[in-house]
Amino acid sequence: MTDAAATASPHYSSSEAAAAKRRRRYAADARLRGYGIAAISLALGLLGVLITTLVVGGYPAFTQTMVRVDFPISTENVDPADPAAGNFRRVMSAGVSELLPGAESPAEVRAITSILTNNTQFILRNAVVEDPSVIGGTLALKVPASDPFDQLNKGLINRDTPEDVRRLNDQQIAWFDSLREQGRISTPFNWGLFTNSDSRFPEVAGLAGAIVGSAYALMVCFLISFPVGIAAAIYLEEFAPKNRATDVIEVNINNLAAVPSIVFGLLGLAVFIQIFGLPRSAPIVGGMVLSLMTLPTIIIVTRNAIKAVPPSIREAAYGVGASKHQVTLHHVLPLALPGILTGTIIGLAQALGETAPLLLIGMNAFITSPPGGVFEASTALPTQIFIWADSPERGFVSRTSAAILVLLGFLIIMNGIAVFLRQRLERTW
Amino acid sequence: MNTVVDDIMMKPMSPVAAAPAASNRPSKVSARNVTVHYGVKQALFDVNVDIPANQVTSFIGPSGCGKSTFLRCLNRMNDTIPICKVAGEMKLDDMDIYDPRIDVVELRARVGMVFQKPNPFPKSIYENVAYGPKIHGMTRNKTELDEVVTGSIKRAGLWSEVKDRLNEPGTGLSGGQQQRLCIARAIATKPEVLLMDEPASALDPIATAIIEELIDELRANYTIIIVTHSMQQAARVSQRTAFFHLGKLIEEGRTEDIFSNPKHKQTEDYITGKIG
Repeated sequence: MTDAAATASPHYSSSEAAAAKRRRRYAADARLRGYGIAAISLALGLLGVLITTLVVGGYPAFTQTMVRVDFPISTENVDPADPAAGNFRRVMSAGVSELLPGAESPAEVRAITSILTNNTQFILRNAVVEDPSVIGGTLALKVPASDPFDQLNKGLINRDTPEDVRRLNDQQIAWFDSLREQGRISTPFNWGLFTNSDSRFPEVAGLAGAIVGSAYALMVCFLISFPVGIAAAIYLEEFAPKNRATDVIEVNINNLAAVPSIVFGLLGLAVFIQIFGLPRSAPIVGGMVLSLMTLPTIIIVTRNAIKAVPPSIREAAYGVGASKHQVTLHHVLPLALPGILTGTIIGLAQALGETAPLLLIGMNAFITSPPGGVFEASTALPTQIFIWADSPERGFVSRTSAAILVLLGFLIIMNGIAVFLRQRLERTW
Repeated sequence: MNTVVDDIMMKPMSPVAAAPAASNRPSKVSARNVTVHYGVKQALFDVNVDIPANQVTSFIGPSGCGKSTFLRCLNRMNDTIPICKVAGEMKLDDMDIYDPRIDVVELRARVGMVFQKPNPFPKSIYENVAYGPKIHGMTRNKTELDEVVTGSIKRAGLWSEVKDRLNEPGTGLSGGQQQRLCIARAIATKPEVLLMDEPASALDPIATAIIEELIDELRANYTIIIVTHSMQQAARVSQRTAFFHLGKLIEEGRTEDIFSNPKHKQTEDYITGKIG
């Protein structure tokens, strides 16, 4: 109508009281959004701090300092007819004495040998046995440096501390620097972390035994808890009468999920190891204990998946003349399977990270080779981390973080598969 | 018209006694004194009815009057509801449906059911129709099974639309096609009676017309009982009609008689739209 009307507020009621109410309403909306954003930021921030600490602490362990040494393999030390029985200590000394010019006396040679890993002889022997053609010639081999020198190379030893409190004295550092000038030092990716088993020496310690042990334990856990859990859930959902006894069973199963995991470890020790006489530290006991913990998860997940199958499918099946077990096995279970699988993978991922029960049944023993079967002593990933965290050598500090990252990597992969499966297999009715 | 009104005014409101079928054929399905309770709530009060063979009988009545409940008694689908208690006698030919010695699975092969909302299995079209004959062991080899499946789909009027995509999922069809697939699935087990619980209520008018035409063709080989909300559909499709109200069977007889000459006031009220 007039200019005043044209510039008037577009809102329905433009009095001051209404405007104030509107402002308060908008403010309340914005506040709620703000709380949500703050909560998410806090959670992501904590997660970021955790991951950053692990990565910063652990990335040195993903590379390993290697020293290239030329070992003359003379026929005096190694008999071509029987390479494995050769005197590889002498071969090693021969190679080391040629490393640094001016280092002649046996004491000095021994001191320089300490730059290389303690296992050098065995590495040499394995290389010669694999390729006997090098006997009589020279073998150029890359050998891991021992832990103090590995730390030195990665800059983790402070050269400025006074010599008497430093790990390495000036002479050792000078030797190492001259080796570096010769171009004999390299730091390739530390595949040994995944292919070697546990060892006293960090430079050759790896997770192979732990990974295999965890894999066996998870396999046993799956083989026990999957069929038992699904069968129990089917019974509770489809066949159990709705009475007091069934309620009691349901309550107890839900409580099982809340029991502290260390209690299951005690159960494993007392019953599985003492009474059943199963071997200590074996993946079979670990698997059985983990399956007790995964069972309630699978039962709950399966029941929910079965409940989500629409009753119209069941009615259609009954209408065609299917019996109870045919309806359950031919129609309900296949439709519930995606949900069951997702829940199972998540349950197994939780079981992978459980430490307390495995410690109690002894899977934290010092085992230097991967287990050959489920009845042999072994470690698991979380218990291996526990062992390394306690070890004094410098190199194990970064290796502990690296091992945690490997465990997290497996967990992320398993959960990623679960998410992928859930998206692929989810159906709309 | 006045005499009709007088008649209705004077007749007491009581369930009608079993009327003899229009022809003197023995009835395919018969019910005597059927009473159904859901827990403490009574859903059906003393229902007596005879369903003749090879005809379409429709059950009409307002929502909640018990017609679906009665339909579901005929193939013992109410067994799946634990709080449902059925009393009375129901016979298929001369066999007591509720005899404890009866195998429910075999009964449901003889009495097929089509539901209100199309519910094909989430399997291929072929598997949907083949499932029934397979679990009842009706065929000896793949060739026979193929014949049964093809025959059922053809009889349901769906063949031309799905013949080259039998392996595609049944849930990928349109609503009307899905319902015809469900009809094909129901007739694959070679039932004698087909129960249809508002089969076209979830479909558009064209699909509904196709289904009604199909029902008319099927009655040559099957006894069909159809529950419907639509009186026009009952008038179009059925030869006999039964009117239910508040759990009682009020009136039953030839469709044209019920619609042009109802004997009870409640029937007339429902038909003229005063109740329901």
